Amino acid sequence: MEALLEEHAKLEKRGNLAKTIEDVQRTIELLQSARDGLVANPSPSPKALEKLQKPTKLLNDKVNSDLTEIYKAQNSYSKALDKKFTGKLYMDPDGDALASHPHLINQAISMHLLREGQFSVAATFMEEAEAHPRAPEPTPGTPDPYAAQGEDKRKVTENFNAKELEQQFSDMYHILRELRTRRNLTPAIAWARQNRETLETRGSNLEWELCRLQYVCLYKNEAWNLRELGQTGGPLGAFAYANQEFKHFHRRYARELQQLLGALAFNENLYDSPYMSLFFNETAWEEVATSFTREFCSLIGLSADSPLYIAVTAGTIALPRLLKLQNIMREKRTEWTTEEEMPIEIPLPPSYHFHSIFVCPVSKEQATDENPPKMMPCGHVILKTSMDAISKGQKFKCPYCPGESIPREALTCRF
Amino acid sequence: MAELSAIKLNAESQILLERPLLGVPYELSRKKFATARREVDREQSFLTKTLSSASTTSDPVSALDTLISRMANLKRKLEVLQAEETELQEQSKARIEHLRALERIPTVMDVKYDEWSRTRLNRLLVDYMLRSGYVESARQLAAEKGIEKLVDVGSMVECLRIEKSLKEGRTAEALAWCAEHGKDLKKLNIHLVFELRLSQYIMLVREGKLNEALMHAKKHFYTPPNEKYRAVVMKAAAMLVLRQDVQVEPYLTWYSPERNHDIAAMFVETHHTIFGLPKRPLLHIALSAGLSALKTPACHSKHTSSSGNASSAASTLCPICSKELHELARNVPYAHHTKSHVDPDPVVLPHGRIYGREFLRQANEKLGTEKGMVRDPTELDKLCREEDVKKVFIS
Repeated sequence: MEALLEEHAKLEKRGNLAKTIEDVQRTIELLQSARDGLVANPSPSPKALEKLQKPTKLLNDKVNSDLTEIYKAQNSYSKALDKKFTGKLYMDPDGDALASHPHLINQAISMHLLREGQFSVAATFMEEAEAHPRAPEPTPGTPDPYAAQGEDKRKVTENFNAKELEQQFSDMYHILRELRTRRNLTPAIAWARQNRETLETRGSNLEWELCRLQYVCLYKNEAWNLRELGQTGGPLGAFAYANQEFKHFHRRYARELQQLLGALAFNENLYDSPYMSLFFNETAWEEVATSFTREFCSLIGLSADSPLYIAVTAGTIALPRLLKLQNIMREKRTEWTTEEEMPIEIPLPPSYHFHSIFVCPVSKEQATDENPPKMMPCGHVILKTSMDAISKGQKFKCPYCPGESIPREALTCRF
Repeated sequence: MAELSAIKLNAESQILLERPLLGVPYELSRKKFATARREVDREQSFLTKTLSSASTTSDPVSALDTLISRMANLKRKLEVLQAEETELQEQSKARIEHLRALERIPTVMDVKYDEWSRTRLNRLLVDYMLRSGYVESARQLAAEKGIEKLVDVGSMVECLRIEKSLKEGRTAEALAWCAEHGKDLKKLNIHLVFELRLSQYIMLVREGKLNEALMHAKKHFYTPPNEKYRAVVMKAAAMLVLRQDVQVEPYLTWYSPERNHDIAAMFVETHHTIFGLPKRPLLHIALSAGLSALKTPACHSKHTSSSGNASSAASTLCPICSKELHELARNVPYAHHTKSHVDPDPVVLPHGRIYGREFLRQANEKLGTEKGMVRDPTELDKLCREEDVKKVFIS
């Protein structure tokens, strides 16, 4: 990129029309002075114009060489571009499995824009997408689930309620803004309280985390909305708050509660107390904001980060390999046979692994609904098809240890 | 264990996907320059001609006035082109800087990569919106994200305008565009001009203006570009004597309203080829690769997966299982894996559910399960005694 940047600097310097314009201006001035001369002369001779031929020709040549200069600068920049992008990737895969579902793509984009809080862009987009839906293009080789239903005329918003989603996300952003920029926990706590039951079945600690932070905030006298909270600042206020709000947490968070209340004894030298880490955690606000976002999205059935963002990022990490593979297959005129599975492994960073993957050590296939993993009594796991092939319904030996069993004893596993 | 190869950012290979990002402003600026050159050539030859025939001029002052005003006009045009050129160069610069930023990011786990990738997603979205004709959305998104210099709204709007004119049966705009890009068309061996002339011809015949059609054919079809088009010309000639409701190809297609759409599609494809843009939006290409790379057999399984549903205690929801992409991902192949990826130290519950030991412990702590018992965080009604949790060997 550095080399390209240098070439571009050269292009900016040489590849512009400034000189050309200057020289055209000089031609104009030359013509103008000739005209002035003619007008001043009472008996103008036609020869006066002919005399202009030579100097204008010179200027014309000058203009032409100015232009050639630009041409050269552009050529050299173009060469630098070609050099940077040497590997030619054939960018158009044969099958575009997504082209047959334009409305699903539009829907994913609408939801993405809403969840990113870009409500006005989302509104414009949904309006334009509904007024001019893209025509679906069935892709050869992939099943078209809507073929049976006839022409696909669904609207962008059919599968989700845009208004509702917008309301939800605007609530979410309101609460987050209060948390992050105003350090106001009240709306977040109110939301967590409202959804207490669902959060608890999810095993979420959100409400506790929020209330705990509120306590710490009061204790350190950092709460600016005391009046709103109906509390006083400092350890006393914190104690009053705990008395009022922590009842619900007694059972589940007994130990942490003891620590928080124990800290009241260290009012003078909290910094040296064993509870220091509870009270001086610089990332506490960002942590509760993140866990709030995650819980909020989960409760409306969405992942915490935009799936569109994650998928496109994963896609661009995968693409160079896939396109290369496609180029090779094009040259060799082969195709991969299993349509359900990709032909090569794409290494993705660990944060892009969401499900557990089971690959059978015997058959190297992945577990599916039809072909689930089976655990033999010895604790080793292989796929059902592998076990069937080994056992043929009879007593068989585990391929990995001396343990023997019959197929009936194997336990179907799930991840 | 995270393998180094999986997190190292291969900037070069990702930059390879971005050729159009720098290619488009370059092509546009080349066109601007070609226009400048054409204008200059025309005025210069007029100047030379006027001056060389000056001896016969009766009114040299007014001849000079004409020359001066034409030159001044040329200067104005050049100044406009210069301003546009500068804008394009600024775009190029911003784009080179954008790509350069990527080269400086070491791994895909870096927060800077996250930021960069979000900008890229926004670019791809703008491109997708423009290709779909959602110009207002594209403009708004680009403005809100401050990425106007990284997206090609102007050239795409131009492309859309011509596409629309073709769909409505007008050919003038497209022909003007072809005149500007004649060299490229020739180089790529694309006979768009011929097709456009053929469209005009069909229109004339349809309207019964046979004489005009004949003149048109004489003018434009005299030298067909190749053998294939020689045959087309023969068939076109026959139209002059055939009935319009003739039920034979190619006339059926030629007379059908589809013809305008086909021509429009051909124009768009030609446009994209000349500018080095992929035929399909890069968003499609990247998204479908991403869906596959992330998809697992568990995503569309009928069983509840531990990371697939919202009520589960497992922390993050898989993007493929999330509402936005779930249906869309149904048609793509799932990722290929050669090794199992499971939580460390896996254990199995009596009903067959497998978890990492530490994850299960933490989940149960959060759930407040009574001592000595273990609850399945995915299926909360499944409770068992601690000693029934067994070690399992996943290789």
